[in-house]
Amino acid sequence: MKRWSIYTPEGVQDILFDQCRIKRKLEAGLRKLFTSYGYIEMETPTIEFYDAFGGEMGLIRQESMYKFCDAKGRLLVLRPDLTIPIARVVATKVREESLPLKCCYIGNTFCFDELGGGKQNEFTQAGVEILGIHSPEADAEVIAMAVKAVKSCGLEDFQIDIGQVNFFKGIMEKTGLSAEEVEQVRELIDRKDFVAVEQVMNRHEVSDDLKALILDLPRLFGNKDILAGISRDPIGEKASAALDYLQKVLDILEDRGMSRYVSVDLGMVQSLNYYTGIVFRGYTYGVGFPILSGGRYDGLVSKFGKDCPATGFSMGINMIMMALERQNRIDNGGCQGILITYEEGGRKFADAYCEKVVAEGGIAELDIGMGGLEACLKYARAKGLEKVVLFRADGSFEAFERSAGL
Amino acid sequence: MRYITIALAKGRLTELSIALLEGAGLDCSELKENSRKLILSDEKNKVRFFLAKPADVPVYVEYGAADIGIVGKDTLLEEGRDLYEVLNLGFAKCRMCVAGPKELEGKMDSITITRVATKYPEIARTYFRHKRRESVEIIKLSGSVELAPLVGLSEVIVDLVETGRTLKENGLVVLDTIADISARMVVNRVSMKMENERIRKLIDAIRAQLKE
Repeated sequence: MKRWSIYTPEGVQDILFDQCRIKRKLEAGLRKLFTSYGYIEMETPTIEFYDAFGGEMGLIRQESMYKFCDAKGRLLVLRPDLTIPIARVVATKVREESLPLKCCYIGNTFCFDELGGGKQNEFTQAGVEILGIHSPEADAEVIAMAVKAVKSCGLEDFQIDIGQVNFFKGIMEKTGLSAEEVEQVRELIDRKDFVAVEQVMNRHEVSDDLKALILDLPRLFGNKDILAGISRDPIGEKASAALDYLQKVLDILEDRGMSRYVSVDLGMVQSLNYYTGIVFRGYTYGVGFPILSGGRYDGLVSKFGKDCPATGFSMGINMIMMALERQNRIDNGGCQGILITYEEGGRKFADAYCEKVVAEGGIAELDIGMGGLEACLKYARAKGLEKVVLFRADGSFEAFERSAGL
Repeated sequence: MRYITIALAKGRLTELSIALLEGAGLDCSELKENSRKLILSDEKNKVRFFLAKPADVPVYVEYGAADIGIVGKDTLLEEGRDLYEVLNLGFAKCRMCVAGPKELEGKMDSITITRVATKYPEIARTYFRHKRRESVEIIKLSGSVELAPLVGLSEVIVDLVETGRTLKENGLVVLDTIADISARMVVNRVSMKMENERIRKLIDAIRAQLKE
């Protein structure tokens, strides 16, 4: 029998030393950012009922969830997402007076089959949600938070593309295509498969200007002038209102100084069963996958029994770390702090000094019987400490600095 | 300026792919030399090229290790990667087909197929599951798939058919067409956004040649 005890399962990893320090620093920065702008942190369980995500909910594919049973035979999952649990909380535990609610989270999520490209089966997500309000201001607010979040992680070259799913939905209603055909067109546009979109459209009786617009959808991304270039006559009320809403969000973001980070993509049509309005994704160099995604999901909370509009975004911390690494933006500060050792009789002084350094906000560690000064210096060198301080029995001390070769 | 990286499928697509890139104004001279270098470049336009096994091209592009790829639709269908498929290059045309002995012609709907031999297990599985709603045993082979029905390994095969000559010489016929195949240009989802202007220019330059 093969022993697996020394390995970790596929898709999960140890996060150690510098990597862990950097990750915690990013998380701490994000937590500080979110709470500074009035978001309240929430923690939901790692384990939830399958029914909250799969089955009739139809939100997450069955194949992509880690599943097991409780003692009563009910199906459980490791949470595949952090937004859906928040929707559950808001529908079941938050009173009407508490709305609108601005909340944030940082936690691990699990996905069974998404391997590759730095995608792990266990990954950390950070994000915010605004529940109980439907306004362009709220949508712009979460996009602004997304921009601030990416910047707080130390990335400068990135872009957030904003789309509006109702634009697509509105146009499709005008064409009279069946739901199945609409889904087919959606997939093709999402893949920017210009060729196949044309083939499908040519099979149907659709007015010429509408057809031209649909064929153009995969190309409709870039700066916000794109919106002005769309003729409103053929697209119908719903799509037209969607464009007006998008324009409002862009105007708010401009006033908030975010214009250089955002652009428009009207061909962004991912998972329509979840999003109901503004959608967005963030991109940067060095990783082939989006680093964040979000949007308005007004129908989600009602699946848990209460109508409540909502908007939010979530960011992949692991993706951000990969981007930082590829763009050489990792700060390799090394370990900080000092090591305090002592000769016989010097322990009291060493301990007092250690307490003093820590009380002043520094990092200090007391010798744990490493076996003499040489061993302490070796430890300090390996760990990258700033200095070693040696206390003698009479309370005098000697310091060995890193700058002096330790 | 950042390099734009293009992954080309090694094999029958290579020469025509190079011709299109040259027509779009890229300098592919290094690529045409028979060198052992793995990555070749056009320094003036800041473009790098590499050749990879066809099945690996969508992988490089999905991960963003290459921004652009040129590869057959058969490989794209089989790999099922999340990419932008921006151009049908039109060359290397053929069909992905279900083929079998002549006796099965016209009887696809009345017989139960249990075993399918193919080099494209994903395409075969998707076709039988979704289009025919059948659970079949897929037998993955690495070459000469036409042999399978002749020696009784499977009832039918799923394979690329270009002229149909190999099938005919072995007494096999096309039973159904799954998809039309040709070379495609694919782009990584993030590259399309971050390098929009340069990539779009390249797409337009290649599209212009296709229309001629």
